[in-house]
Amino acid sequence: MSKTTLETTRRGLLTAAGGLAAAIAAPGLIGRAAAATQITVADPGGPFGPAFRKAFYDPFEKATGNKVVNVAREAEPTAQFKAMVETKSYIWDVCTLTLSARDILAKQGLLEPIGFGRNEAPKLMPEAISENWMGTDVYSTVFAYRTDRVKTPLNSWADFFDVEKFPGRRSMRKNPIDSLEQALLADGVPLDKLYPLDVERAFKKLNAIKPHIAVWWTGGAQTTQLLQSGEVDIITGWNARFQAAIDGGTPAKIVWNQGLYSIEGWSIPKGCPRADVARAFIKFCSDPERQAAITEGLAYGPTNLDAYKTIPAKRAEDLPTSPNNLKKMAIADENWWSANRAAVTERFNSWILS
Amino acid sequence: MSVASSSSTEGAAPLAPRSARVRLTATWLVAPGLAFLAVFFLYPVASLLFLSVTDPEGGGWSLRSFARIASTDVYLRVLGITFRVAGSTAVLSLLIGYPLAYWIASLSEAVRNRALLFVVVPFWTSYLVKTFAWMLILGRNGVINKLLMGAHVVDGPLPLLQNEFGVMVGMVHSMVPLAVITMLPVLTSIDRRLVSAAQTLGASPSHAFWMVYFKLSLPGVTAAGLLVFISSLGFFIVPAFLGGPQQTMLAQLIITQISELLNWSFAGALAVMMLATALAAFWIYDRVFGMSSISGGASVETDGKLRRVGIEALALLASASEALAAGARAVLGRRVTAGLLPAASWLIIAFLVLPTLLVIPIGFTSSEFLSFPPPGYSVRWFDTYFSSPLWIAATLRSFGVAFATALVSTVIGAAAAIALAGSRTRFGGAIFAFFLAPMIVPRVVIAVGMFYLFARLGLVATNTGLVIGHSVLALPFTVVTVTAILKTYDPRLDQAAATLGANRARTLAYVTVPIIRGGLVAAFLFAFITSFDELTIAIFISGGIATTLPKQMWDDMILQLNPTLAAVSTVVFVVVTALLLVAQRLRRTA
Repeated sequence: MSKTTLETTRRGLLTAAGGLAAAIAAPGLIGRAAAATQITVADPGGPFGPAFRKAFYDPFEKATGNKVVNVAREAEPTAQFKAMVETKSYIWDVCTLTLSARDILAKQGLLEPIGFGRNEAPKLMPEAISENWMGTDVYSTVFAYRTDRVKTPLNSWADFFDVEKFPGRRSMRKNPIDSLEQALLADGVPLDKLYPLDVERAFKKLNAIKPHIAVWWTGGAQTTQLLQSGEVDIITGWNARFQAAIDGGTPAKIVWNQGLYSIEGWSIPKGCPRADVARAFIKFCSDPERQAAITEGLAYGPTNLDAYKTIPAKRAEDLPTSPNNLKKMAIADENWWSANRAAVTERFNSWILS
Repeated sequence: MSVASSSSTEGAAPLAPRSARVRLTATWLVAPGLAFLAVFFLYPVASLLFLSVTDPEGGGWSLRSFARIASTDVYLRVLGITFRVAGSTAVLSLLIGYPLAYWIASLSEAVRNRALLFVVVPFWTSYLVKTFAWMLILGRNGVINKLLMGAHVVDGPLPLLQNEFGVMVGMVHSMVPLAVITMLPVLTSIDRRLVSAAQTLGASPSHAFWMVYFKLSLPGVTAAGLLVFISSLGFFIVPAFLGGPQQTMLAQLIITQISELLNWSFAGALAVMMLATALAAFWIYDRVFGMSSISGGASVETDGKLRRVGIEALALLASASEALAAGARAVLGRRVTAGLLPAASWLIIAFLVLPTLLVIPIGFTSSEFLSFPPPGYSVRWFDTYFSSPLWIAATLRSFGVAFATALVSTVIGAAAAIALAGSRTRFGGAIFAFFLAPMIVPRVVIAVGMFYLFARLGLVATNTGLVIGHSVLALPFTVVTVTAILKTYDPRLDQAAATLGANRARTLAYVTVPIIRGGLVAAFLFAFITSFDELTIAIFISGGIATTLPKQMWDDMILQLNPTLAAVSTVVFVVVTALLLVAQRLRRTA
């Protein structure tokens, strides 16, 4: 750890002030890093705060002597992230980003390298690490239905789109992301041949279900409420939102089959003055036992699959990356979306109004 | 004010220095507001909107973003929806708010203050919580549908949500208090003896109302209509949760571009389109309703033809309502018709307090969810709230920031309003529109622009930064409210004070301010609420470190909506009601 610290400190300073300055300043800087540094970590907030505190922050503080202050970030903090880097006011040192946010920010050169690769954490899922980001938890876009209202069990997106055979009030996300994939899966496109998406075919399939969608939801918290209150019977959304309703006593079932998963993880704003400690923190979070600890309170999947060695089998059933669930799903392709999102979103907005 | 204009027209040499000094004083009053908005609003927002004429891919001048808007009809349609929804909200809020305001204005002062407490109840429940309360009331398994189906009035659940009806309920509910409180200072300042005088002179009660009372109340009505319309333009949470796809609002699309797609050029172009259309709407409104009556002199007098049309319309309304009233009296009897207004007012008040009444029991639920009726009762969510230093700190900060915001924006806004009311500059309308602009520009645009400025000034994650940010948003409310009350203020009182030897400052302190006190209190209240319920600026400026109450609520909603929100709302409601009651008592004994 101290080796990476030294190296990165030197690299940063070399570009800034030249070798001599580095030689003079480096000991002082390292000294400060070794003494307690306080980093501010922006996590998704809500129940993540206490879960991450227990699994990541407190153990990291204990192991390194550095302090971790956590604050809640927005669902899509890209605008704040950009503003922070461009004005060099680093109020956050580490922040949770989704894959799409990571790609948007990386493209604009706003992310700092995390300083380690998969060879240093071999059991990490291959999609869960890149040059400037490391995944901490996997969430899955699936659908759920009320078992008290829908008598015949559903098992696929074709079932979700079959309103004759499976009657019930339905709800989908008011967003082309996931909705297009779901339509194509329902239309018979195999999970591994989804991308590049056949947009025409997807909208044609969506046309068929549009009159049967009672609610187009916009926020994740809304989906828990919709399912829990019985406002709808069958609804698309993120697994942990449904799990929250189920854990609270709602008679509902999650359909993992043909789910699309995605990953949230840590990144560091470009030019962050406390990047060394931030990197050490991120590396610390790749540990399987640390990751197993977050699943006690949150129904998100660890990215380090070794974590399942210590997760109880009963809990593993509810997690997206447990071997049994993971094999039914595929990862959403962010590359396709970052290239097509603007145009497809425009088309979707126009389609939903007509 | 009038002193300045009259003395300057005389042009006598000995008076010249004095008139110059007086004019300087009047200008000086609008200066703090203009400077404040120029630095903390115009500059940051303009630098962001400037991006709309740059190329999103790599800088340089480009009109590509505007070309993209023009290449499809979706943005124009959403703009149309936004204006339709805001327009209907304004009309409905006035139709519902006016009778209530009229009734409250007719009460004695002590009773009036108590009735007002009911009107402001919706203010003290966060709009996030209110929206979810409406979902519980209007939903398929909601309170109304359960009642109707239980009574066998309907067979299946009525579609009350995810349509225009749901959106109107949610929006009108948030906007009626705004309309009432804007109109009330004007209504209470109308001398009701004028109505009696008109009747003595032979006018029927309907004619006396419409031709005298209603006409005198118009400054309040136009101000309320404008405030409601313009604030409604920026709504997106209520339409997103209570409406369907047909109620998509432009603010939502702008937010997506800013925070999800990071295409600030296109977001800027959309914001420019919205701003331009809103300013055009303001200009038309000004023409039709004589809104410069708000920004400057009594312009109702200026346009002869329009004025005649207006008076004829009022006369027609008077005759129609006279026939209606006669019919109602014949059918219902005189005693019942006399009770109609109080009954309608109480019905409206019931509508206003309904979501809050629902939120209180939900706060005491034993369940993990916001559901009604609660399956059981407990104080666990109050426990969660009071034992969390995060929640308590956020609550205290919100109260402090809101108080400072209210103070700053009422002082600056009232000064600007007084200056504008006194001056007859032809820029009055433009300056007034400038003061309204923070309401029209989507908050996320202001927030992002502000962040860049505040980062340079070291104001990010500070309470000062929050107060400045919130004051920018609150200024339009304070300026409009104080302007409306000044319309009822007789400028000859200033002249009288001057004749008696008072200088401008003394006149302001001992004549103007005491007379327009009602308007100042309303302005203070609006500014307080604006800050207290504000989320977007708080998200950017606080960075999650200097957390306010709405930000803390928002964070808590990440995974699920747990009843802590309801518990917090209940605590805030109780605390604020207690504070207001104490304030009333103190004022009465003082």
